[in-house]
Amino acid sequence: MPVLRLPKFGKPVKYAYITGRVRAMKTKLIPGEMYQRMMAMDVSEIARYLEETQYKDEIDTLSKDYSGTELIEHATFANLAKIYGKLLAVSIDEPSFLILEYLRRWDIWNIKTILRGKFYGADETEIAKYLVPAGELNMEYLSELAKKESIQEVISALEGSDLAPALANYDGKSLAPIENALDKLYYFRMERAVGGTLSVGGGLLLKYVRKEIDIKNLITLFRMNKAGVEASIIQENLIPGGKLYEDLNRLAGQPFGEFLRSLEGYPFWSSISDIATPDIEAISRVEARLKAYLIRYAWALSNYHPLSILPVLGYMVSKETEVSNIRKIVRGKEAGLPAELIEEQVVVA
Amino acid sequence: MAVETITDGGILYGLIAVGAGLATGLAGIGAGVGEQGIGAAVVGVVAEEPGFLGKGLFLMLLPETLIIFGLAVSLILMFAWTPFLV
Repeated sequence: MPVLRLPKFGKPVKYAYITGRVRAMKTKLIPGEMYQRMMAMDVSEIARYLEETQYKDEIDTLSKDYSGTELIEHATFANLAKIYGKLLAVSIDEPSFLILEYLRRWDIWNIKTILRGKFYGADETEIAKYLVPAGELNMEYLSELAKKESIQEVISALEGSDLAPALANYDGKSLAPIENALDKLYYFRMERAVGGTLSVGGGLLLKYVRKEIDIKNLITLFRMNKAGVEASIIQENLIPGGKLYEDLNRLAGQPFGEFLRSLEGYPFWSSISDIATPDIEAISRVEARLKAYLIRYAWALSNYHPLSILPVLGYMVSKETEVSNIRKIVRGKEAGLPAELIEEQVVVA
Repeated sequence: MAVETITDGGILYGLIAVGAGLATGLAGIGAGVGEQGIGAAVVGVVAEEPGFLGKGLFLMLLPETLIIFGLAVSLILMFAWTPFLV
């Protein structure tokens, strides 16, 4: 299937409605200080609190079938899919095109979830719990995929789709190579669809996405360099397309202390400099800080371009982070983790 | 049949009338261009926060003041200047 290209020049005024709307929606996000308070609550109190926020409808509807952690997990994903669907529904033209290009990551997420589910022998209801139909593929299609018997059947059902090239080299042993290929395909596809046009909006989206790729690669480097993985294996896992791709490629396989010294001077360094020491145990702390940096970057960039796709992107990233924060807190509580450990994982921009 | 001649005063009066028209017309176009973005943004915000309607309307009407300036210039041209010129 040929990749659609961004059709025409974008005028900033096309973004007035959607940016006005997302700025109002941003005020309804859960404030950063609330996560602290949520950590002191038990799961049912968190559910009650969420009922007072924008998750009310989902909590009300799903409380018939689920309770406790399951209720919150379902409600947060359902709300995320609803909000993203709403953004697509209320935008037209260029903003709509760009939002959909961005949201295709959820198609990738869903396909990965189904493949993982099949790999570990989960049944379709178990898989359906973790699906977020926020991209182009709807829930009916995904449920049909989840009903397939094996990974091979899922892959053959997707034959002829955009994702087929990434799925083709499944070796039957490990999912990591195709998951990696799916990620690369997503970014490659976005570059093809959005890049190379004269649209200002598309250029701004790519500017953010390049930063996102850098941060993802950086997290991969932190994890793999810390574990002492071989340079060539790390380089295979890095996603091409980031602004710092060449630099980060060079840092692959370096001893951890040297790797940290090489990062000094980059713009993201100030946000991790106090915790990124050679003897750091939990890389997830660095990961949380870098994700917070990325959210701040999106919003800072949107101040320079107020009538563009960036405020919408900032909102989408903030919303996704909110959902993952709530889920981390609830899961952590259920597993009985200490509050400090959960707090380290929570991303507050 | 009487032959009408165009006097200098007549040309001037005509040009003033054109100027007055342009003053209001261009100001109107300018205000419209300004308002399209503000209006769209206000509708977007009000869709989420109905309480913002009052403030939003106020912001939306700000460029409208430009037309009043244009209209004032037109009125001055038409009624305050012309009697002295012709």
